[in-house]
Amino acid sequence: MADTTMGSAGSRPTLFLRNATGLVKAWSTFDAFVYSFWSVNLITLGLYGMSFVYLVPDGQLLAAILVFGVLTSFLVVTYAMLVSVMPRTGGDYAWQSRVLGGGAGFVLSITGWWFTLFLWAPIYANILNVQFFLPLAYTLGWSGVASFFASTNHTGVFVSCLIVLAFVSVVVTLGMETYARIQKICFWIGLAGLVVVAGLLLFASQSDFQNAFNREATSLFGAPANAYQATIDAGTKAGYAPHDFGSFSFGPIFLVLPFLAFYLLWPNWGATLYGEVRGAKDIRKPFWSMFWGLWVTIALVALVMLLVVKTMGWQFYNAANASFWAGTAPVGTWPYPVMFAGWLVNNHAFQALLIIVMGLWFFGWAGTLFLSSTRVIFAAAFDRVLPSWAANISAKRRVPYGSLILMIAPSIVVSAVWAYKPDFQNVFLDATAVLALTFLATVAAAVILPWRRRDLYEASPIAQYKVAGVPAITIVGVITGLFLLFMLYQWSFNPDNLYGTSFQKTGNSVAYFVATYVVAIVIYVVAFYVRRRQGIDLNRIHHEIPVE
Amino acid sequence: MPRIFFATDLHGSEMCWRKFLNAAKFYDAEVLICGGDMTGKAMIPIVEENGHYTVTIAAERQVVTADQVGDIENQIRRKGYYPLHVTPERLQELDVDADKRKETFQQIMLDGVRRWMHIAEEKLRGSGVRIFVCPGNDDEMEVDDVIRESDMVELGEGRMLEIEGFKMISTGWSNHTPWNTHREETEEKLGERIEAMARNVSDFSHAIFNLHCPPYRSGLDEAPAIDADLKLMHGGRALRPVGSTAVRQAIDKHQPLLSLHGHIHESKGAVKLGKTLAINPGSAYEEGMLMAAVINLDAKKGIKSYQLVNG
Repeated sequence: MADTTMGSAGSRPTLFLRNATGLVKAWSTFDAFVYSFWSVNLITLGLYGMSFVYLVPDGQLLAAILVFGVLTSFLVVTYAMLVSVMPRTGGDYAWQSRVLGGGAGFVLSITGWWFTLFLWAPIYANILNVQFFLPLAYTLGWSGVASFFASTNHTGVFVSCLIVLAFVSVVVTLGMETYARIQKICFWIGLAGLVVVAGLLLFASQSDFQNAFNREATSLFGAPANAYQATIDAGTKAGYAPHDFGSFSFGPIFLVLPFLAFYLLWPNWGATLYGEVRGAKDIRKPFWSMFWGLWVTIALVALVMLLVVKTMGWQFYNAANASFWAGTAPVGTWPYPVMFAGWLVNNHAFQALLIIVMGLWFFGWAGTLFLSSTRVIFAAAFDRVLPSWAANISAKRRVPYGSLILMIAPSIVVSAVWAYKPDFQNVFLDATAVLALTFLATVAAAVILPWRRRDLYEASPIAQYKVAGVPAITIVGVITGLFLLFMLYQWSFNPDNLYGTSFQKTGNSVAYFVATYVVAIVIYVVAFYVRRRQGIDLNRIHHEIPVE
Repeated sequence: MPRIFFATDLHGSEMCWRKFLNAAKFYDAEVLICGGDMTGKAMIPIVEENGHYTVTIAAERQVVTADQVGDIENQIRRKGYYPLHVTPERLQELDVDADKRKETFQQIMLDGVRRWMHIAEEKLRGSGVRIFVCPGNDDEMEVDDVIRESDMVELGEGRMLEIEGFKMISTGWSNHTPWNTHREETEEKLGERIEAMARNVSDFSHAIFNLHCPPYRSGLDEAPAIDADLKLMHGGRALRPVGSTAVRQAIDKHQPLLSLHGHIHESKGAVKLGKTLAINPGSAYEEGMLMAAVINLDAKKGIKSYQLVNG
């Protein structure tokens, strides 16, 4: 017999362990934090998402971020509790199918984690364009490259989509161990870049920035003199209503939340992978990794925005965004705060280097695009809802080619639609909403878990957490659900079509998403009957076998 | 034709063992196969003093009365641990004396296996259901003797068994692990062990390889990467193939109809390796959930259908 070891608390031993397979030491919370931190990416998704908040003039951004952080913390607790009860590969799919039922679980999760992720590929590509290719090309004077990747050139947009898909495929092929290393390198270098950006903004005055902006706007973009003021004027003409950064109205703060969801709603992005993580049953590890991923980002967003306000000016920041989206900006590229900060140093080589370094925020993050989706597809294939080849892995390089094909092929089609059919682009604005709907279904599963799967709940570490006799997971689930429902309502029915996704104004997207749910239902029904003919009852996958 | 219910890596969870036995009726299975690693990894002391009992489960210290002890024992067994009744003096003795601890652990573990055999006999005697068990690398060698004592449960280790026209060979031995467990050996020796059984099989199109360790680089053998200090790397998300090359070679060479595996709890899946369907149903024994595979065999078609289930 192998040596026994002892676990103890206090003066007495409380557990005697023997040497056995799988007894490992806890994973580092920091490592998991890095993954969560990348998922709520401050630079890529964050700066892009916040370029729309000018649309809510009275929504105090910092207060909105704080409110969002508090409400999303309930989402974090809900997911950490689910991970603790059922650390399953497949995350949302596994939880929904085991609690809500196989059919509902498949339809509600696969629409989010599979069909909607197609839409994110062009969104990632667009971010790559406006935060990397275009600023770099403009800074280095590569006008041909800048023209190629400009949003008006369909082929350039499509090529950037293909670059993103190729990069994501390589990451999935390399595996998580290699990518985790890449993420860490990108994390530290990217963070150093952010320190430089923050330092530049901290030590420069607003007049320094105005001079630098006017200089580079003319030098790089051929803008007329005093482009700074021209940008503010163009923003006002584009409909931006100037307001103080500190002005505070309670209601509008909540209208900012659906914009912030674009980047702050994803600290739980890695939850689909926790089935592969030993020790996930310890609620503290998943919770703290997601919690710190969220709140460190919130702290950095607050810091960056305060510095932007101090040095660039709040009116300028909003006006630059408003005029860009209206197509009337004197500087004809997306107002990337990192690029603007770099202009404080009158040296194009430095500016290019800063853009490259900050580009690591993209490359450290973008690989996660399909990683979770492949796990969800695996889980559905293991349950025989999808064909077994969907979970196939090549013997030599361990490439999950089945799930990759299912992600990449439709993504190429969707990317082509994005690039060549601009009229269809409002569909992409719903990409956040459909994932929120998937989360809502998971949260609903969490709320009823203590009753629907009493066996699992009672055996889990979270069974001890109750408030006035009500399971804590139910309480945090209800709060999270109300938060998600509020945002879903705003996305779907906002009377002013504030988010560009209101049903009454976006027939294309309604049709697209109804179609995805119909397709998901059809896949499940077909699988159900095909498997029944093979002697497989899909209803029985999650039925609990009696104990006594 | 037989319907097989295969589960593995129960690691002492009595709840999972009971579900495993009840699966025969639940899934109309004629054959139950337990793939190995039956025994638990820990024992939890229930300390009796001054007429009450003190126990710590999942870091929560509880003081209970004599009539609550039964519930506590069930909670402990459900998680795959063994309840150990001790006095404070005995606890102290076990704490300081590694040999006594070792001896106690073995005794309590074998008692646990004996108890499982009795439960199987109670539940399935006369049902016509055949139950096969093949201890895994975490199970001590003495476990085999306890199984042999049962007239209801058949020991698989090292044997070729007939299941309604299909031949099954089994071993719970694995390649080396960082934990230096009870049934580990070099790939070469493991290959010889498998080959010694396989050479008795005449028709591999009707053969089942019940090998605890999954084949290398099959997708059924991906375990979280650990460093030399057994600490999980990269937040536990970095996976490495840790299966056996000997198992892989045996499957590639003989192409049995079906190969059944366990060992790597996180690596649930079903893959085709040439003509062979290889399955690892995974394990979630700590939650009391039985992860398993239901396989319908057919004399002509071979595998008529299969399904991974979570009961």
